[in-house]
Amino acid sequence: MRWSVYLLMILVSIAVDASAGALLEIAGAQPRFLPCVTVFALLSAPKIYAVRLAMLAGLFADLLSPTLRVDGSQLTVIGPWTLGFALGALAVLPLRSLLYHRNPISSGFAVLVFSWLAAVVFVALWMVRQGLWSGEQPSWWPGTGAREMWHQTKTALANGVIAIPTVWLLEKSRTLWGFSTAKRVVHGAARELV
Amino acid sequence: MGPFSLPTIGLVRRRMNPSRFFRFLTGRLTGRRLDWAIVVVLLLIALMPARGLQPWTGDLARIVAVPIVPLMHFGLATRDRLRPPRATFDPRAPEVIEMEMASERYRTLFEQQRLRVEALEREMLQLRAVRARLGNSGAELATARVVGLDPTRRDGLVRIAVGLRHGVRRDAAVIAHGDILAGVIGADPGEFISLAKPSTRCTLGVRLYPADGVEPAREPSVYLGTVLKPTDGGLWLGDIASDAEVSVGQIARLSDDRFGSAGRGMRVGRVRRILPNEEVPLARRVEVEPLIELADESEVIVVVDPAPPLSGGQP
Repeated sequence: MRWSVYLLMILVSIAVDASAGALLEIAGAQPRFLPCVTVFALLSAPKIYAVRLAMLAGLFADLLSPTLRVDGSQLTVIGPWTLGFALGALAVLPLRSLLYHRNPISSGFAVLVFSWLAAVVFVALWMVRQGLWSGEQPSWWPGTGAREMWHQTKTALANGVIAIPTVWLLEKSRTLWGFSTAKRVVHGAARELV
Repeated sequence: MGPFSLPTIGLVRRRMNPSRFFRFLTGRLTGRRLDWAIVVVLLLIALMPARGLQPWTGDLARIVAVPIVPLMHFGLATRDRLRPPRATFDPRAPEVIEMEMASERYRTLFEQQRLRVEALEREMLQLRAVRARLGNSGAELATARVVGLDPTRRDGLVRIAVGLRHGVRRDAAVIAHGDILAGVIGADPGEFISLAKPSTRCTLGVRLYPADGVEPAREPSVYLGTVLKPTDGGLWLGDIASDAEVSVGQIARLSDDRFGSAGRGMRVGRVRRILPNEEVPLARRVEVEPLIELADESEVIVVVDPAPPLSGGQP
């Protein structure tokens, strides 16, 4: 797997999410391309790097989504999306053997699961921060965590829908990504270890 | 405090040099262990207070954002082109001013029409009231707009928009509010404009009725009668016997036959004061004020002669 291509695609998807992504907003839910790219890589990258590449995408998401504080300053918290993407990756990895990962529709389902679990960790960590440190308001303040979770659920559904065409397009660029197609076959048993 | 000054690491440092420590880290922290180590570090960072994050995470975010800024600008330009941002409201914009003026114009037109409808309804009510009073007498009614005071100011005459062409004749009753004698048509009415003499300038024969109503069963002759003579102050004075029962607020109704059956019984004024008559000790005077001023009205009804029947065969 070529990390440079992955990094470039992450940056492009973040830029699109932060700018032209608003064009796709439906009922307040704006789909994001970053989970689509991450899940596409997760479904094909080596397992050993899977969590790390998801955390890398989450790190970029954290760095580029600062929270506005009461005093008007911005606060960038590293962790909520990074750890959320890590949990999403851990959930998607077992699905690799269940889903036919070249199928865009199954990728859409994987993106839905990934996005929703990432949102759970994101909201949970911010709630913990809110409890630990007084005056630390999350980005959804003055709304409640439950309302934000509902919003993130709608966003996860939108992500799943947008993932179908996105993954289909990414499949066209599979050769650029340099995913390894070599399989180590153990003699005797019909078993493959990727 | 340095990054490796924790007591545990201090023990490690005493037993091994830094190069051996890094070899230990890189040798042991691989695969799933490295993932968990990163997760633990990130969890600690995520739960740090704002004062521990703000000094460095903002700068790091700005550095990371540098390569995507051109892409974001391109994306924003594309978004603005596909879905232009809603323009801010400018109350001084020409189209806004034009719409406000149009709105004001239509509001004025609406108000005019509403007033016109109200005036028509009032007119219909008056016509119905006068028609009910006239019964089958054969008299016809004409609605007339009050134009204004006569420029000569002679006798307080008022110009009304009705004339000979409408069948108006001299001394025809000018009625307002259905049953109030406002005046009479003066001499020489014009073709389309007539001069009406206000009732306050006329001498009128009246009967004084109670203010709270009239008993229909009683004859009109039962009620006290008098002749009202105009005074300079727009009032009337009438002589009554000293033993006559009269009270302030009684209504004076026309009993004259000069204005035809249409005028008889119409309200004229209200008793304002009862005064002694110095010239005649056995008599008193009643001061009557008018119920309306003809010049203040906008529309009145004039009793006109019926149109002469057309002779057969002639156009």
